[in-house]
Amino acid sequence: MSRGSGPPGRGDGEDHATNDRDPWEAVAALGTDPAMLAAVVRRAAVDRPGLAAHWRRLVADEVAMAVAVRELAAAPVLEVGPGDGQARTWRREGVVVALAGDPGMPDRLVRHGVAPPWLALRGPIEASVGPAVAIVGARRATGYGTGVAAWLAEEAAQAGVRVVSGGAVGIDAAAHTAALGRAGGTTVVLGCGHDVAYPRPHAREGGLFARVLDAGGAVLSEGLPGDPPRAHRVRARNRLVAALADAIVVVEGGARSGSLVTAGWGADLGIPVLAVPGDVRAPGSAASHQLLREGAAVCTGPPDLLAVVLEAAQDGRDLDHRGGVDDPAGLGTSGLPGWLHDRLVAAWPRPVPVARLVEEGGSGSGPVLAALTRAQVAGTVTRDVDGVRLCRRPPDA
Amino acid sequence: MVMTDGRTGRRLDPDRVASPAPGADDGGEGDPSASPDVLARVGAIALTGLDGAAVGAEAAVGGGLPQIKIVGLPDATVREAADRIRLACQRSGFDLPDTKVVVNLAPAGLRKEGSGFDLPVALAVLVASRQLAPAAVRGVVARGELGLDGRLRGTPGTLPAATAAQRHDPDTVFVVAEEVADEAALVTGLEVVGVSSVRHAVEVLAGRVPRPPTPRPPDPVRRVVPDLADVRGQSLARRGLEIAAAGGHHVLMMGPPGCGKSMLARRLPGILPELTPAEALEVAAIASIVGGRADDLSVTPPFRDPHHATSTAGLIGGGTGVARPGELSRAHCGVLFLDEVLETPRSTLDALREPLEQGRIVLVRSRSRVTYPARVQLVAAANPCPCGHAGSTTRPCRCRPDQVQRYRSRLSGPLLDRIDLHLELQPVTEDVLVGPSDGEPTATVAARVAAARHRAAERWPSDPAAAEARLTRDVPARVVRATVSRVTQARLARAVESLGWSARTFDRCLRVARTIADLDEVDRVVDEHVDEAVAYRLDTEGRA
Ligand SMILES: [Zn+2]
Repeated sequence: MSRGSGPPGRGDGEDHATNDRDPWEAVAALGTDPAMLAAVVRRAAVDRPGLAAHWRRLVADEVAMAVAVRELAAAPVLEVGPGDGQARTWRREGVVVALAGDPGMPDRLVRHGVAPPWLALRGPIEASVGPAVAIVGARRATGYGTGVAAWLAEEAAQAGVRVVSGGAVGIDAAAHTAALGRAGGTTVVLGCGHDVAYPRPHAREGGLFARVLDAGGAVLSEGLPGDPPRAHRVRARNRLVAALADAIVVVEGGARSGSLVTAGWGADLGIPVLAVPGDVRAPGSAASHQLLREGAAVCTGPPDLLAVVLEAAQDGRDLDHRGGVDDPAGLGTSGLPGWLHDRLVAAWPRPVPVARLVEEGGSGSGPVLAALTRAQVAGTVTRDVDGVRLCRRPPDA
Repeated sequence: MVMTDGRTGRRLDPDRVASPAPGADDGGEGDPSASPDVLARVGAIALTGLDGAAVGAEAAVGGGLPQIKIVGLPDATVREAADRIRLACQRSGFDLPDTKVVVNLAPAGLRKEGSGFDLPVALAVLVASRQLAPAAVRGVVARGELGLDGRLRGTPGTLPAATAAQRHDPDTVFVVAEEVADEAALVTGLEVVGVSSVRHAVEVLAGRVPRPPTPRPPDPVRRVVPDLADVRGQSLARRGLEIAAAGGHHVLMMGPPGCGKSMLARRLPGILPELTPAEALEVAAIASIVGGRADDLSVTPPFRDPHHATSTAGLIGGGTGVARPGELSRAHCGVLFLDEVLETPRSTLDALREPLEQGRIVLVRSRSRVTYPARVQLVAAANPCPCGHAGSTTRPCRCRPDQVQRYRSRLSGPLLDRIDLHLELQPVTEDVLVGPSDGEPTATVAARVAAARHRAAERWPSDPAAAEARLTRDVPARVVRATVSRVTQARLARAVESLGWSARTFDRCLRVARTIADLDEVDRVVDEHVDEAVAYRLDTEGRA
């Protein structure tokens, strides 16, 4: 794909400049330590002139800023953490803040020159080292799309590759969810402040983000407290998703999908981009097919993806890039009764509605349901609103 | 029907002529200057919701311009009854005194509502004016509305009023309009006298015409509930409904339009146990208040399906003055079906939570506080998304993801959190539609449900407050836990955790597993039961 055909609006400074809200106001409302913000602005001015223009506009000069700092100093919420003075805790949310140059700022972002002036992090700081893949796609996903995303994510995470995505519903959620509790783990990059509950079902108690954190994953945001998920911010977020990965795979997306932005950043930053072919009739396949036309690598399964990651991963860790594909113990045994397993294999990666499976099970709904639960708990099938599907690609599918 | 003319009415039996009650209280506290001549007292019932309190209508003839004055916290209807009663009595051939008659409804602190007080007030006036002997109304509780011609009509709440009358005094003679006498006769052992007019009432009470016997109460009826045998396919829903019926669990059915949610819900009352006589009476009493009279005594659990646009007051009860029962109470002992539950305003759903938990609804108005029973089994139905086709294998969903998400997020909330069973339905496929009808009939399923309920009833200590067998739905979580082995509980805990569900889900699944074991006719809850129970949980977080 050519740089010229890249998606619009992924420039950084311009995007931020469209923000019509005075962040100082938001900061004041939230009681953020203004000294911290002053530091952010100063560093930004040095490290990233493009982004810093935005900040400078908001704080016309040092004098005005000093006044603001004094006025806001009354109710600090940000704390300088104990120890080295580098880890700063956003007390309200248990968020650690890394400024440009702090050890908490992921190397990859710095290396690619896309590090934000401020990165607020929940979860372990180490979460952004090691091989990683960005699995991205549309929110309006089909069962096929979420099925493939989950399959790729699970195999990647199983092989020790971190799954990075944007935490949105649809493809993102399928990828994050499938990676939960597996070796590679998963990282969510938010398009809003940590304290903004978006998307609501993921941000709530027991939601996807909580589960990611529980499983040892990380949730990152370059947003300030209270930043809403505006389109420009979400697009800017995609550069972080891209930069945190060794390869980017677009699973499903329409012609104007944000996943094209991520892929565009990948191209700009020299990160390999793959795309999963879709149904040629489906509008949701447009993004993938456009990328394939522009030269993205085709991804028809985890081996395609893992081979690229293995090559690109800078620490050269020895990945089990075959994943579980050849692992007979991992797959042939979903623990389901034969007919049920066969039915899911035949449908794979599309889901089968539970009611349908029960219907086909003939007499006795109970045993079918109980078997599905066992398989779900064992992690061999997943279930969502679309139905049940095998997590991993069956060898005979 | 015995009708005597006005003249006969005035030829009173000397033995029955009232003499002034010596030392009687001044019945006319509204007019202390009135000096009582005769004080009479006729029983009446003041209903507050289903609760009836005994009230006495005391009349005294005093000085002043001719009028009937009703005191003792009457509402507007009761106050306005004065002129009607006066006319009705005169047109029935009675002579009313040329002075003021004061009627006090005592105790005065209790609010009296409705037109049911016409008859007791009229009788009290007639006793006070010496046209009926006080002895004739001893033990009488009267109820009914008078027309201007003296004819007697039934009023809403006959059944609860009759129940209260009997509770107040088992030897009560309950005098009501003929048209509702059979309803009053539903109260076992109560003597009911159905009369057609105030004149008829006086003639009967005076012993001049034979007292009509207590009517034979209508036989309990069974309503026609559509049979499960008509449902093709839908094995998941059938199984789900059977478990729901056995444990009393609330159910959420989710599926695209036309997949049969309503058809299935309508069949639930058929597999529920028939109502006990006490329950049937309660249900009839509510119908009596709402509909004016209980048409019959049904032992089939009621089924109510209010539209999602029904107001909160319409659903839980309300209205001015003393609040009337809503759909919720009309579904008491039966099924409340909320179709398109996600279209129902959140505030309305939230208002259902507490009554659903407590099995009754307390409606507080400025001047009254009414409690209606509301022990219902909730069946909620929802489309999977605004357009209805998310997850459908046949039609694509046309909703934006954020719309679906917002829609789904409405699934969690205080009310829906109370729902133990979630069923994801699919439209029946064509081959099932044209295939043989293999569905089990309602009677077969009902027998299994009854057996399971019996097992549960033997196990759970009955709730001393409710005096009835508890449903597994209502048994406290710790009691349910105590009946399940640690190993099995640990298995469930692992499953709930690995699926990322909240701890609250644990007890809900365990309850359902308990019911599945009861249906399985075993006391021990085993892994298989727990595993099945887990499958009846829908991810309400709108993931993926
Ligand atoms: Zn839809």
